[in-house]
Amino acid sequence: MKDDPIYKDRRYRINELREKSEKMTSRERALKAINFEEPDRIPIDNWMVPEIKTRCMDYWGCEDEEELLAFLGVDVRDNFGPSYVGQEFKKFDDGTVADLWGVRRKIVTYGKGTFHEGKFKEVAWSPLEHMTSVEEIESYEAWPTPDWWDYSKLKEDCAYWHPEYFVLNKGDRLDRTAQLKPMMYLRGIQQTFIDLAVNPDIVECIRDHVVNYFLEYNPKVFGVGGDEIDMFMMGDDMGGQRGPLISVEMWRRYFRDAFRKYCDIAHKYGLKVMYHTCGDVYQLIPEFIENGLDCLQSLQPQATNMDIKRLKQEFGKDLSFQGGMDIQQVLPLGTPEDVRKMVKYAAENAKRGGGYIFGTAHNIQADTHIENVAALFEAYHEYGVY
Amino acid sequence: MSTLEKLSEYVETGKSKEAKALTQKLLGDNISADKIVHDGIIAGLDAIGEKFAAFSAFVPELMVAAMAARESLEVLRPKMTQGTLHKTLATVVIGTVEGDVHDVGKNIVAMMLEGGGFNVIDLGVDVPPAKFLKEVQYHEAEILALSSLYSPTRLAMKDIMEALKTEGLRDKIKIMVGGAPIDQAFCDLIGADGYAPDAPQAVKLARSFLV
Repeated sequence: MKDDPIYKDRRYRINELREKSEKMTSRERALKAINFEEPDRIPIDNWMVPEIKTRCMDYWGCEDEEELLAFLGVDVRDNFGPSYVGQEFKKFDDGTVADLWGVRRKIVTYGKGTFHEGKFKEVAWSPLEHMTSVEEIESYEAWPTPDWWDYSKLKEDCAYWHPEYFVLNKGDRLDRTAQLKPMMYLRGIQQTFIDLAVNPDIVECIRDHVVNYFLEYNPKVFGVGGDEIDMFMMGDDMGGQRGPLISVEMWRRYFRDAFRKYCDIAHKYGLKVMYHTCGDVYQLIPEFIENGLDCLQSLQPQATNMDIKRLKQEFGKDLSFQGGMDIQQVLPLGTPEDVRKMVKYAAENAKRGGGYIFGTAHNIQADTHIENVAALFEAYHEYGVY
Repeated sequence: MSTLEKLSEYVETGKSKEAKALTQKLLGDNISADKIVHDGIIAGLDAIGEKFAAFSAFVPELMVAAMAARESLEVLRPKMTQGTLHKTLATVVIGTVEGDVHDVGKNIVAMMLEGGGFNVIDLGVDVPPAKFLKEVQYHEAEILALSSLYSPTRLAMKDIMEALKTEGLRDKIKIMVGGAPIDQAFCDLIGADGYAPDAPQAVKLARSFLV
C-alpha cells in the first residue's frame, strides 16, 4: 500500500470502521451468513469492471488487486475453475476469437474519449444460428468436452485463500454453469427466443449438449477442489427489467430438471449453491427454492419486484441473498448520500438472522464516479455491523 | 370467427406461415390493406401486448408475434407502396446507440412498430450519433427511437440529443428511448420526449406522438 498522506486519509474511514466491527475471519463471517447465523458484520462480495478496479487502486493507493480487496474488506475470493489446455482458440481475420463452444467474440469499445470509456467482449458470431434441424445441430463438430481442462492446480488455487477467505467457485464466461446463456451464445439471442416459442426439439437438443457438458465437468471440479471450495456459483439470466424473460411453465419445461441436477451435484459434495440472474425473477424464486437453490445473487433493485425487503420477508427463511446494490441508477447517477441510503436500506431489511452478503447487482460499471464507490464501501462497513 | 379475427389470432400466437397465407387470401378477397393492417395485424399485436403487460406472455411469445406481423406486412407491402390503399403512420428511425451491440429488444420494438403501421428504418447496433442525424434527415423521420442495454452506453443518448440541438433538428422530431437501464428519470434527464419500458408500450408511445 502506498503511504502518502493523501492515501492514508482516504483509507482512514474504512480502516477505522473495520477495526471496530471485525471479530472473525472473512471465511467464518461468510459461512455464518450463508448458514443463516449472524456474524460480526454483513460479509462483502465485490463485482467490478477492470476500469473501476484500476480507478479504485489509484484512489486508495493499492499496488495490486489483492491489496485493494484486502483493504476494502471483501470477504469472498473467486475461483475461476481449472486451467484451459484444450484446443487452441481460433483467431479470425475480422478480429474475432472463438471460445470453448466455437462462439466468436469481438471487443467493443463504449464511451470513446469520455471518463467512462471501457471495453467489453461481445458475441459476434453464433455457430448454430442458421442451422435449421436437430440433425444439423447434432453434427456440429465443436461441442466441447470437460477433458479440455487441467484440474491439477484447482485445489491449490482455492487453498491459497484458506483459512482467511471464503472461496466461491464461479468459473468464468467460458465455463460458468448455465443452460440458457450458452444456448443464446451458440444460437443467437433472438433465434433462441424464437426456438423457445416454436422449435422445442432444437431447444432440447442444444440444452442437452450444454447440460451434459456441465454434468460431467462439475463433479470433476468439486471432486478435485474438495473442502477448499466453500460455495459453487452458477448463472443464467432469466429476468428482464420488468419480469421473467420466459414463463414459469417454460422454465419448468426446459430448465427445471438440469437446475435441480446442478444443485444436487454441488450438495452431494457438501457445497451450497449461489445462482446469478439479472432482472426480475420474482415469479421463479419459489421454483428455484424447490429445486435446491441456497443463495440468490444479483437482486437488481431497479427491476420490478426485486426489492430486497420484500424478498427477505417472503423468501428469507429458505433462501440467502447476495447483491441488491443498484448499478443502473444509484451508483452511476446518484450522489454519495443516495449510495449510503441504499446500503442502509439493504442492511436494515436483509441482515436479520444472517442470510445476506453485500454486493452490487452486477459489476460496478465504468460510468460510476469514485466518490460513489468510496461511499458504497464505507457504508457497507458502517451499516453492516450486527 | 371472421377471417380478419383469424388473422389477428395467427399474429397473436406467432403463426407466421398461417398469417402470411391468410393475408394473401384476404387480399385476394379484395379486403383493403388498411383493413387487414388494422383489424388483423394491429389487433393481433395489441392482443399479445395486453398479455405481455399482464404477464401471461413473455419475450418468446412477443418475438414470434412480432415476426408474424412483419411477414404478413411483407405480403401487403406491394399494395402499400402502390399508395392507394394504405398509408404508413409515420417514419421511425431506430437503432442501438454507439458502444452497444445488443439488439434483441430493439428488434422487437422495430418489428412491432412496423407491424403497427409505422415505416421503420432500422440502423442496427453501435450506431454513431452522426449516423442517426444523417438518417433522420434523409428519411424525414417523425420519430427517433434509441435503445441501449449496457448501462454505460446510455450516455451516448445524451450526445445524440446535443447533436440534434446543434443541428437545429431537435424540435422537428419526437425522441423515444428504451432499454433495460433507461427509465423515465433518465428520459427526463436527457430531455427526450418519451420512454417505454417494453415493446408494446413503445408502440403506444409512438402512436401518442401522432395525436
